[in-house]
Amino acid sequence: MNKRLVAVVAIVIIVVAAFVALWQLNVFAPAQTIKIGVVAGMQTVEGQDIDRAAQLAIDEINAAGGVWVESLGKNLTIEKVLVDTVDDAAGSTAGPVTRAITDQSVDLLIGGATTAGTLNGQIPAIQNRVPYIITGASFNLVTRRGSLPEDNALYIDDAEGMSYMFHYCTTIADYSTTVAHFLADDVKTVLDDTYHFDASRKLRLAILYRDDGYGRGVRDVTASIIADDNLPIEVVANVSYATDATTYQSPLISVKESSPDAVYVAGFTADTAEVIKEGINDVGLNSLYIAVEICEDPQFYALLGETGSFQILESKIATQWQGDTWYLEKVGTYVENYMAKFDGKVPGMLGADTYDAVYIAKSAIENAGTLDKEAVKNALEDTDMPQSLIIMENERITFSTGTNYHEILPKTFIEQLIWNEGELQPYVVYPKTMPGIEGNFRQQTFFPPMEYEPGSP
Amino acid sequence: MKLTSMIPLAISSGLTQALLFGVVNGCIYILLATGLNLIFGVMKLVNFAHGELLMVGAFVAYQATTIAGLNPYFSILVSMASVALIGIALEKFAFRRVRGTEKLNEIFISLGLIYVFENLATLLWVENYSIQIPSPLVGLSIPLGDVQLSYDRILSIVIVIIILVGLVLLTKKTKIGLAMRATSQKSDAAMLMGININKVYTFTFAVGAALAGAAGALYGIILNFNPTIGALPTIKAFAIIILGGLGSIPGAVIGGLLYGIAENVTGYLSNGTWQNAVAFALLIVVLVIRPTGLFGEKGE
Repeated sequence: MNKRLVAVVAIVIIVVAAFVALWQLNVFAPAQTIKIGVVAGMQTVEGQDIDRAAQLAIDEINAAGGVWVESLGKNLTIEKVLVDTVDDAAGSTAGPVTRAITDQSVDLLIGGATTAGTLNGQIPAIQNRVPYIITGASFNLVTRRGSLPEDNALYIDDAEGMSYMFHYCTTIADYSTTVAHFLADDVKTVLDDTYHFDASRKLRLAILYRDDGYGRGVRDVTASIIADDNLPIEVVANVSYATDATTYQSPLISVKESSPDAVYVAGFTADTAEVIKEGINDVGLNSLYIAVEICEDPQFYALLGETGSFQILESKIATQWQGDTWYLEKVGTYVENYMAKFDGKVPGMLGADTYDAVYIAKSAIENAGTLDKEAVKNALEDTDMPQSLIIMENERITFSTGTNYHEILPKTFIEQLIWNEGELQPYVVYPKTMPGIEGNFRQQTFFPPMEYEPGSP
Repeated sequence: MKLTSMIPLAISSGLTQALLFGVVNGCIYILLATGLNLIFGVMKLVNFAHGELLMVGAFVAYQATTIAGLNPYFSILVSMASVALIGIALEKFAFRRVRGTEKLNEIFISLGLIYVFENLATLLWVENYSIQIPSPLVGLSIPLGDVQLSYDRILSIVIVIIILVGLVLLTKKTKIGLAMRATSQKSDAAMLMGININKVYTFTFAVGAALAGAAGALYGIILNFNPTIGALPTIKAFAIIILGGLGSIPGAVIGGLLYGIAENVTGYLSNGTWQNAVAFALLIVVLVIRPTGLFGEKGE
């Protein structure tokens, strides 16, 4: 009896000791991964695109062996942590981002689509010093909140925390500059020739915008660009619509009364498509409509349909490029891989930013040699990589410092949508050339829509 | 000058155009509000998820059109039937269980249903989050002065009128309609007169839901939609039935038109900023002057 008892106790002790030893050696602990929080509103087409693009990039990186982390002496795989902000509205983002940081201990955040959502969602990242590569939110305030007046509700007095924010996205200034110069250089010339306008006549531009920070930003920045660059454009109307509006005839009637040559629509995918359709089909405003790059999404093309023929889309990645060869090989590869992986879905604009951002994060971690967030942040600041899916002014991906804090130098372009063979097809009409692209980038010259009516002289 | 030649001039003014679109856009809300009015009037049931039935109707019509290849205007019937069945299930297995208990129970059930429907729709249609029912009449319109009225919008007005006429005939000329009216006035007395209240309630909810389904199908033909569209129409529908008077179909029609006009004209005059505020301010003014609404009747 005593011998048996002693034997049992001995065995138990050995087993427990072995268990403790194995536990110390992390045998039972899950393998360490790099946790990247992907901030995406999964109830929106933009958010779904961000999520898919991130998954594609992560799978590619993991399949190639993962990310080398010098301090650990090994490659780690990336684990995607979906930070679902539902509709990415202002009230929907801070909670999921906070949980990703505190509960799931993400190493880095990537994503964010809307300005309003990102301005709220970035606050926990700032407070917790988590590097955040923002791939949406065209309002540059997301990296400049410290430069606001102290009594501004968006002001943040935390320069160090703000230094963890990186904006891998075109800003309102970037794309509104392209739009304004396209109108001044090309559209005005065509209209003057076609309708025999005097050269001194300014192009009449109406801005129809969402009544939120983003829309008001487009309104104000466009006016500044026109003034600063002394462009021959007159803003004849600034008309807003409620963010929860479902019909737009009333603001369109106001726009029509201003007799514009062109209407710059600062909205998201669904509302821009509806604005253009109601403008043309209901209100009889047969103008030239310009949609912004967030509409570079297959759902915009589908919603717009034939009504959108000859209308304008400002963009930074032509995922539905019409040509025998892709303007950038990388873009072609990305689109083909995306479509192959996700049942033929065509990628959108925000996904492209996110895809690049994942690779930027990989590069930063490898350069930092550690997952320490401050070191990764410093490495992000020193990013210097060849351009990827988004064309850059100097063909390199770098983040600025100083007053243009942590922003990139993207190049955007203008597409004209043509209804052909039962679908809307985009063709680049401006500018003629682009950095890093051989020969002509422009595919055709701009011409007004078939039923186009210019504004009154 | 002939009257007909003055019409283009009249419609040329921006304000008149805003009025016209207010009437046109109000039609879908009239249908939704009438269904809600029916349910509230007969059953005294507050269903905050009524707008979700509109959303479901839109998605059902979309599926019927794109998968079954039905003409979108025939898919309205599919939508009405499907949402009516959903309405029957909701009445029998959800609302009936709390009938007679605290009013809050009904309210919380309907609030919960909002999230259930919205999340279910998101789950089912996440791949096509923002869509529109393809119409064979897209791009076709009739010029009216400086504006155009699309064939789809004209047809939607006609369909709303047909449905409302059908509803009036149902409530005025049929036994079940009589039972519904009796129940709405005094449910206890109706029961004593031998009316099967449960059947009346189930039928009423089914009809109300069918109207929401029809509104949803028309909404989806004219506008793009997604799983979250239900909330705002619900609020507008409640505002309309309160404005027009509980239990009054003419009230819902007039209320819907007034609401649509107020919304659109304000949107035109104030660039959209005060659209919703003014429309609800109108509601408050009417209630202050006439607490039962424009055509309201005192009931139980």
